[in-house]
Amino acid sequence: MDFKDYYKILDVPKDADNTVIKTAYRKLARKYHPDVNPEPGAEDKFKEVAEAYEVLKNTERRAEYDELRKYGGRSAQGFEPPPDWQGSRASAGGHAEQFDGDFSDFFNSIFGGAAGGTRQRHSGFRGQDAEIEMPVFLEETLTETSKLVEYRIPVIENGQVTETKKSLKVKIPAGVVDGERIRLKGQAGPGQGDAPSGDLYLHIRVVPHPLFDVEGHDLVITVPVAPWEAALGAKVTVPTLGGKINLTIAPNSQTGQRLRAKGKGLVTRNGTGDLYAVLKIVVPPSANDEIKALWQSLSDKTDFDPRGNWSNER
Amino acid sequence: MTDTVMSISVLELCQNHGLTEQVIIEVVDHGIARPLTGSRTSEWAFDITSVHWLRKAVRLHADLEIDWIAVAMVIDLLRENEALQRRNQCFEQQLKRFLEAH
Repeated sequence: MDFKDYYKILDVPKDADNTVIKTAYRKLARKYHPDVNPEPGAEDKFKEVAEAYEVLKNTERRAEYDELRKYGGRSAQGFEPPPDWQGSRASAGGHAEQFDGDFSDFFNSIFGGAAGGTRQRHSGFRGQDAEIEMPVFLEETLTETSKLVEYRIPVIENGQVTETKKSLKVKIPAGVVDGERIRLKGQAGPGQGDAPSGDLYLHIRVVPHPLFDVEGHDLVITVPVAPWEAALGAKVTVPTLGGKINLTIAPNSQTGQRLRAKGKGLVTRNGTGDLYAVLKIVVPPSANDEIKALWQSLSDKTDFDPRGNWSNER
Repeated sequence: MTDTVMSISVLELCQNHGLTEQVIIEVVDHGIARPLTGSRTSEWAFDITSVHWLRKAVRLHADLEIDWIAVAMVIDLLRENEALQRRNQCFEQQLKRFLEAH
């Protein structure tokens, strides 16, 4: 095990007072806290910083650490506590309430691990909760569906932490939305003895649809139309999540114009959304001589200037 | 078939997540989470998504040593950020549909 230089981790001098240590911790905690910094590695960095602060903010623990530092800091090989080391003289138990993770082996070897994972300790030996992402197709959100969930949970067997695979058939209620979480009671880590198991949280992720985009509880579909359909008006058939509908495109429609099909959006617990059809005028990719002649005659016969509103600018 | 649970009670929050009623009251008072039901504190139930934010708020309050007003601001900004990211993703997807040959 490596010796951890808590002063270096917090970037403070050895004789730093509590105010300096607190300021250094706060600055680094703000930067690396996993709730505000999603970067990989931020959580590990935060744990390291929190552990350093846990030791250095407490006078007794800091004195104990400083004593060990004289011994451990010199060692060229990995750190081992001195053989006569009693450990946890400055008991860390009950003080480390703000920390949601486990402290390092190094910390535990000095302070007896009394402060590690205190949040779990508060709740006895209940099993750990777990959260997994649950991909759901847009169509599946319309009605209640059942999905198979497969996941791994850590279990302690004969003092060893191993993983076990679980699979569950889960009822997903109608109207779930992207980002929503649902809870499965007692389906995560097993509790010790008679204590209850932890809960499994499913984080709903709606799979991107090949045709529809989601805006709140509305759906948006891009509808390609030919130039003459836009100019003359047309009736087009548009898919929805629950079958096809006919939409009327008004004469002289433009790209980007939105047509609303009321009640054809998502069905959520907060109401039913609409479907918006956004027009996209598409020119045929190629044209034969006859078609080219027709375009040319159109060009000759119209005085339309698509850049007309530029004319006043120089 | 395992039934999904769409809410969590104050008692469960305290037992399962090591929170106290006092902390939950603070979080509600500062608008970080809103109970779905219940008039008395002990009867409150929260939807599961707000549990995610509630726990985040409690962690930020303790780990960053910041007061509840600051926590509420951070949570608001994080929520807004998440909503904007989702919106941005949606716009990017729509733009892609517009730019690609049909």
